[in-house]
Amino acid sequence: MAKLERLDLLDPYEVAQLGGLELIAEGVVEGFLSGLHRSPFHGFSVEFAEHRPYQPGDEPRYVDWKMLARTDRLTVKQFEQETNLRSMLVLDASSSMHWSGSDRRLSKLEYAKRLAAALSLITLRQRDATGFIGFDDEVRAVVPARAKLQHWWTVVSAISKLKPGKGTAAEPALRRVTDLLRRRGLVVFISDLLIDMDLTLLSLQFLRHRGHQVVVFHVMDPGEVTLEGPPEARFEDPETGGGVIARPRELRAAYAETVQRTIAEWRLACRRGGIAYHHVLTDTPFGHVLRRATARRSRLG
Amino acid sequence: MIAFLQPLWLLALSAAAIPALLHLRQRHNPPTILFPAVRYLQQTKREHSKRLKLRNLLLLMLRTLIIILIVLAAARPVATVQVGGVHTPTALAIVVDNSLSSGVVLGGRRLSDLLVERAREVVGRVSESDHLWLVLADGVPHRVSRLDASRVLDSVAPQPLRLDLGDAVRAASSAVTGDILPSHEVVVFSDRQATALSPGATPEARVLVWQAPDPVENRGVDSARAEPAVWRPAGTVIVAVGGSGSAPGAIQLRIGNQELARAVASPGERVALRPRVLQRGWFRADVAMDPDELRMDDEWHLAVRVAEPAAAHAGVGAGRFVREGLSVLQGSGRVGTGDVVVLDDRLMSGRGVMFPPADPAMLGAANRALAARQFPWRFGDRVTGEWQLGGMVGPAAGQPVLTRHVLEGTAGAGGQVLATVGGEPWMVRNGDLVLIASRIEQDWTVLPVSAAFVPFLDLLVNELATSSSVVVRGLPGEPVELPSNASTVLGPEGPGHATSEGRYAAPLKPGVYFLASAAGDTVGALEVNHDPRESLLTPADRRSLRATLGADAELLDDNGITREMFRGNRRADLSGMLIAAAVLAALLELFLATAGGRRESR
Repeated sequence: MAKLERLDLLDPYEVAQLGGLELIAEGVVEGFLSGLHRSPFHGFSVEFAEHRPYQPGDEPRYVDWKMLARTDRLTVKQFEQETNLRSMLVLDASSSMHWSGSDRRLSKLEYAKRLAAALSLITLRQRDATGFIGFDDEVRAVVPARAKLQHWWTVVSAISKLKPGKGTAAEPALRRVTDLLRRRGLVVFISDLLIDMDLTLLSLQFLRHRGHQVVVFHVMDPGEVTLEGPPEARFEDPETGGGVIARPRELRAAYAETVQRTIAEWRLACRRGGIAYHHVLTDTPFGHVLRRATARRSRLG
Repeated sequence: MIAFLQPLWLLALSAAAIPALLHLRQRHNPPTILFPAVRYLQQTKREHSKRLKLRNLLLLMLRTLIIILIVLAAARPVATVQVGGVHTPTALAIVVDNSLSSGVVLGGRRLSDLLVERAREVVGRVSESDHLWLVLADGVPHRVSRLDASRVLDSVAPQPLRLDLGDAVRAASSAVTGDILPSHEVVVFSDRQATALSPGATPEARVLVWQAPDPVENRGVDSARAEPAVWRPAGTVIVAVGGSGSAPGAIQLRIGNQELARAVASPGERVALRPRVLQRGWFRADVAMDPDELRMDDEWHLAVRVAEPAAAHAGVGAGRFVREGLSVLQGSGRVGTGDVVVLDDRLMSGRGVMFPPADPAMLGAANRALAARQFPWRFGDRVTGEWQLGGMVGPAAGQPVLTRHVLEGTAGAGGQVLATVGGEPWMVRNGDLVLIASRIEQDWTVLPVSAAFVPFLDLLVNELATSSSVVVRGLPGEPVELPSNASTVLGPEGPGHATSEGRYAAPLKPGVYFLASAAGDTVGALEVNHDPRESLLTPADRRSLRATLGADAELLDDNGITREMFRGNRRADLSGMLIAAAVLAALLELFLATAGGRRESR
């Protein structure tokens, strides 16, 4: 399957129809890595630790040419800190994530799950210890970080079992990260960010102060960017039950401005805090998102 | 001032509430949509609520305004203007008097042609938004289009009719004032005969009367009557000459192409023409005057019946005076000898005249005999007093009656009352029998010892007892009542039939039309002649016009008519302006309604 299609470049909804979470994540990662010339997440230490077999996507500069000459095998050199990179995926599973503006699109949660699975596979293939935290109004799933490739199945299993919850409270989940990541590591926060901005930013900045690299994926459905609907409707928040009566036609432009302004605010706030911010629409192919995220992280790293 | 040509459309103004109602209905129960990003929406509404409220209010007002403008435009508003515009849409009635008098020739042209010419000019000024009526000599307003009016005027010619100008103008006024248009006018083209201006209610509409040229003097035959009704064989035609002036004119009496008598008379005079007709039967006779400027009133048509004297016999019961009188008539040849008509106090078979029996004991037998013959009258109580004789008794009219039997009619009594005393029947006829309530004796009436007795007896024998024929006189087109035994009117275009009530519309063409019974016998004649009032051409002056047609009535010449017509101010139709305003409002509404979409596309 993966050999036939570049799943990372296909429509996420179409891709999701092809198989389970693990299969899709593998396919996406295979496609994604085959298009790269180097590993997406690399360490920042120069102390050599060990060799490992070359994998597509590894940077040629880390290929041990002498080893190739001696053994006729492609191996790459790994360094001390790189082997110890620990990453933690934090996934928002609140009820606001369980929404899609179209039958032909994945819900934000389903999209985020596949994105998290792919990211975890990428980091584990680099022998990075990877863990997972799922939350809604409280922490629902915790998988400590491990570096073994087989650990991916544990992570994927936890991701799969995550059900949409009620409200959103990111602060406890992010606080939990500090418990699980003692040393500096990578924190990937995937959410629709329909949460308290100040509190969330405070928690993320706290992680940065602890020396972690923080990447935020702001997942939105295209239906949230553009206001559509009948001439007049009561729009109800699935989390709070609160609602507002509005006419999409007359508010469409102003609403779009508000959304763009909010995205800009998040982006600016993250940049000021040294946090990588990625706005992701659920109709964007996974490969595009991964590529954008890794490119940004390389620049940051 | 603004008026509306289609005011019923204003009812549609209630549709102006539709935008507000739609707005409220949508507010009532909108569908619910789950939407996680409600916080963005709330924020947007918070930030734009004032602008949105203003925009929605503007849209609501614009949509309501559009509906109001369209409805107002549909109601066709017109406003008074000083310059430009068109005349007020007017309900206009044109009265064209093509009665008989309009046939007069003035200055070498027939007056009716002048009237039509002026009427045509007025029709030419009528616009699409006016409503038009045309009134001709029949006096009935007909709603017409401009095209129809022109077509009708093409065929207008003088009719042998009389137009009551007062009634015609009032009918025209009623027609136009009942119209929805704001202005109402009646324009009259007539010779405005003073005799045609009957008094009545003042017309509500404004009346403009065209001032026709001054009339000329005119003579006409006012009437001509054959006396007696049946000539045996001689008779007299009494001719009355009417019109104005004093110039005498020659009068001829013709039957067929034969001139039988001639005389000379001036307007206001009566002449007697005494022809002698040798043949027996019914004849059409014409009385004609020398022609003048108005030809249609110079002729009169009458029917003449010539018959043998009736053969009569007086029974013993008729009394001495009747027998003696009849002998005198027979001696002079006025009455023949025979028993065609029997005069007696007993009921005889056949034609006759019956008096009350001299012996009161015979009264019961007489009444039984009458009942057996199904005669609808009987002798009642004998009463005494003094009454004046009236009715068809010729020279005996006014003679006192001292004693009589009350003539009692049976239920639904038919027959004809020929003479009355004190308002009660004195002489009645049914079929061949004439019944008289008094004996012709001195104790009963003064008649037998008066000079009127023998002429009365002549009338009784030769006409009342023998003739069942009747001459009916009528005006062209007017309904007349035909005698019960007449079933058919013989006209030049074939026989005509009366209604079941015996009424018949006289032909428009003056002439004599004979009446036939069901068996085909001629039983009378219908004389149709012009109304003699049409011969009086003296016009009504301005004061008379205003007294009859209202203080606002104007007598105007050609220029005056042109100037005063459609005087109800010049007005502009505002529909176009309102439609333009509605389009502008719609464009503005479109701009406001799509403003959000345009911002989004940018």
